[in-house]
Formats: sequence, C-alpha cells, structure tokens
Amino acid sequence: MDQTLEPIYNAVLNGDKDAAVENVQAALDAGTDAGVILQKSLIPAMEKVGQLFEAGEYYVPEMLIAARAMQAGLGLLKPLLVDSDVKPTGKVVIGTVKGDLHDIGKNLVAMMLEGAGFEIHDLGTDVSPDKFITAIKEENVDILAMSALLTTTMPMMETTIKAVDEAGLRDVVKIIIGGAPVTTEYAQKIGADGFAPDASQAASMAKRLVA
Amino acid sequence: MKHRERVETVLNHEKPDRCPMQISFTPEFAVRLRKDLEIQGRQVHNPHGGGNTYELERTLGEDMLLTSVGWANSYYMDDKAYVDEWGIGWDVQPYQTPYGIGHYTEIVAHPLVDDVAVADYQPPDPNREHLYSDAKQMIQAFKDEYWIVGVTVTTIFETAWALRGLEQMLLDMATDSDLANHILDIPYHYHLTAAKRLAELGVDMIWTGDDVGAQYGMLISPKMWREYLKPRMSNFFAELKAINPNIKIAYHSDGDISPIIPELVEIGLDVLNPVQPASMDPIKLKREYADQLSFWGTIDEQHTLPFGSPTDVRNEVLERLSTTGKNGGLILSPTHHVQLDTPMENFWAMVNTITNTTYQ
Repeated sequence: MDQTLEPIYNAVLNGDKDAAVENVQAALDAGTDAGVILQKSLIPAMEKVGQLFEAGEYYVPEMLIAARAMQAGLGLLKPLLVDSDVKPTGKVVIGTVKGDLHDIGKNLVAMMLEGAGFEIHDLGTDVSPDKFITAIKEENVDILAMSALLTTTMPMMETTIKAVDEAGLRDVVKIIIGGAPVTTEYAQKIGADGFAPDASQAASMAKRLVA
Repeated sequence: MKHRERVETVLNHEKPDRCPMQISFTPEFAVRLRKDLEIQGRQVHNPHGGGNTYELERTLGEDMLLTSVGWANSYYMDDKAYVDEWGIGWDVQPYQTPYGIGHYTEIVAHPLVDDVAVADYQPPDPNREHLYSDAKQMIQAFKDEYWIVGVTVTTIFETAWALRGLEQMLLDMATDSDLANHILDIPYHYHLTAAKRLAELGVDMIWTGDDVGAQYGMLISPKMWREYLKPRMSNFFAELKAINPNIKIAYHSDGDISPIIPELVEIGLDVLNPVQPASMDPIKLKREYADQLSFWGTIDEQHTLPFGSPTDVRNEVLERLSTTGKNGGLILSPTHHVQLDTPMENFWAMVNTITNTTYQ
C-alpha cells in the first residue's frame, strides 16, 4: 500500500479518530486524490474491520471506534468527492421499522455500508412505510434496508414491503432486512431480497445486490 | 411437592415431580390473561416483579416468585413519557399485534450523555427503607411455599449504558477505561447494596443480569468482559454468598454468551437465564456443564411461542424436559416476558405441558 495511505488504513483499523483525520489531511496535502484515499484506504480498512468482526476478533465496540475514525476521515473527503467524478457504490435508505426504537444494529449496518462506499440516507427509528416510500421516491435509491429487534415489530417489515409494492416501487429498489428475530426464511417469505445476520455481512450482501 | 421444594430439587440436580416453571408477562398480556382466568390483580403488571401481587403467577402454578429492587423497575412505570429517579428518560412506544395494541417503554434520554455530567451525578439511594417493603411482605407471605427470587437485573452494564447511551458507553469501554469504570461503578454499587439487603431479608436466590450477548455472538469481546464486568460480578456473587452460603445466584443475558459461561461458573454462578435457543443450544449446554450449572428459561420467544402452533410449543417443552432437564437442572420459562403477539393457545400449551408432565 502507498505510504501515505497505509497510516490511514491503520488508523481506521485501530479506531484512532485523531490519527485518521491527521493522516487523511496529510495525504490530501501531499496531493493524493480524495477518491483514491477513499477507495484505497478507508474502504479497504472497513472491509478488514468487517472480516475481523466475522472472525470473532472484533466486536461491536471495536467496530464502532473504527467506523468513527472512518467517518472522521470521510468528513474531510466528502466536499472534495462532490466535485470529483467518484460515484458512490449505491444509495441506501435505512431505518428501523414503525413501532421499534432500537437503533444500534441499524446504526452498525449504516456505518458498514458507508464504509463500503454507499451513500446513506438514515431515516432513524420508528419509520412508517410512508416515510420509507417518500424517501425512495425522492432519493433515487438502490437499496432499502430495514431493521427490527422485536417479534412484535418484525411484521411491519412485511407491511412496508407490501406498501412499497403497492406504490409501484418494488422493482426500483432491492430490499434487505435484519434484526434479532429475522431469518433468511422470513426474508424469503415476505419478499425481501436478502437478510444478513450482522453488519459486515449486510455490507457484503448490499455490494452483491448492486453489482 | 411444594413449589419451593421443586425448585430446590432441580437446583440440586435431582428429579422433581414435574419441572418447575416461571413465567412473566408484558403488562398487556397480563391483562389478557386476567380476562382469560377471570381474576383480578394489580392494574399494571411489572414483569420484573416489583409491586406485583402474584395472583397470576400463583393461579398458573408457578414455582418461583420474583421481587425486584433496582433500575429494572423503571420499565413499564407509566403509560406516558416519564423520567425515572436515575434521570433516565423513557417514552411509550405502541406496536400492533393480532391481539391488540401493546406498548413498550423505551429508553430515550441518557443523563450522562455529556462527559461533564458524569462527575457530579448523584444516583438514587439504595438504602431507602420503603424500597424493601414489598420484598419483606412477600417473603413473609410466600416463602414457606414458593422459591423467592430477589431481582437486581440490569446489574452493571445495562444500567450504565442507560445512563450514558449504548454507543457512547461502548466507545468509552474501548477508549477511556477510567471513565467507563467510573460509570459502571454507579449501578454496581447500587445493585450490590440492594442485593445484599434482599439476601439478608431471606430470599432464596438473587437474579443478576446484564445483556452482553447478541443474537449470534457476544456484543463485547470476552476480553472486554473480563476487564470490566467479570471482576465486579465475581465480587457481587462473593458478597452475597458471604451473607448466606446457601443462596443461589442466577445471571441473565440475552443472546449468545457461550465464551464466558465457564468463567461465570468459576466465579460462583448457579443458574443461567434465559438461554435463548435460537442463540445457544440448550442440549449442548447441558452436555458441557452437566451438574455444574442449572438453566432457567429455554422456551423460544422469538419463533415458537409467537409464531409456532400449540403442537410446536408442546414439542419444544417435551424436548427440553428429556434433554436439558434430564435429572433436574432446569426451570422452564419463556426466554422473555410473554409478549402480546403470543396466541393464548400457545401460552396454554406451554403451561399445561409443563404442569401436566411427570418427570421420567
């Protein structure tokens, strides 16, 4: 790896926000293209974080501090990326379904998707089908991602998919779901395009769905 | 067999007449059940046991009665938004089920979200006498007949993150151990005081707990658990056993915590709750821990109870009795308070199969 990029990669992996900011700035000052910094250091670092998470070496706290470092670095790049021709991997609307206020799982998925180069529109928690639909219409979205922690709110995923279908938008977006009681079988049953058991696998799945 | 003997027997890894049973309910399920049973009771049922009058539990033939002192009593405190005595803000969140609209109370505001609030924070006082009046009354009224559980769940980590915010607490644990330790000590000291007092009052078991498991693995690493939570839990258990060497200790964590179970046993754990079967295999656990550990829970609340058939529920109960419950060591219970989305036929299939099945 390029010697200006390796410290950025390591800073994200170690969850060192200050070092991430410092080294992204140093790389920019050295004339490295913002798109290159994103594609060659931030995204690979978060991919590695995902691998370490799946391997049981990283857990939620390590993922959170890595994502925080990645976001701090990305903050410096964003204004520059707008002016360049670097396109996001895809655009995602994400939220926890109506009736459910739990957000850490949804937030982790959003962070891992952002770390995979997706543009994220996070609608928060307790999101009604109408709100999801409005966002899909307005945002030119590739993926709708829904979360539910509870058996009592999980059926709202099916309600939302039906509403998306009735709004004539089902073919416009891929739909992915996750949350403690959710399974692959449930995803198939309600007509979602995919389920992932954790944030890292959600990011891999999202990449496959827009490839 | 008396209810308490039944529990005592299985915790000694011996066969009872039938498997002991413990069931709690969300408030709206309790209302449905009261209608079904045509009995009265306290208007709002507290699933953790604080303030309950136990008509439902006793009518069903439950064997353990719960009495709770601690932050967990802040759940289901009101039907509109409120701030509890810890300064933690709650909102009331409705959800729709085939059996009507239910409400969860959800944590929405954290008094220690800003670093500057941490140093001056004054937690509530666990030595207020009135906190223990329910426990005293119920011990006097029911201890002859029932196994009495003093509840101090959300013992350390869960109350700490409610004070600080979950993500921020996890970040603190990863980046600022002094701050994290300071915050974790607040609920630790409170609940230790409460648990010791409950032990002195004569409860048979103390139920501790902190959710550190996610659906498919631990939320924090075993290493981080060893750094922050194991030493505190170890001392917690030891102080209770110093008061009463015969007291039993139960620990609750949702999800998969299999990597730390050997160490929980090492520090004196007697009973593991709730053993979510979608996260940890109860048969494997029985094989691994045999008579070193008893299990309380194991009836699936994520699939079988809300979405299965009465036959599925019955089969799950019977399978547990012949595997995890072989030669005792099992108290059957749903892995969470019974939710409003549970069909009444499934609920009764669970209760009737447990109470009507004689141990083989």
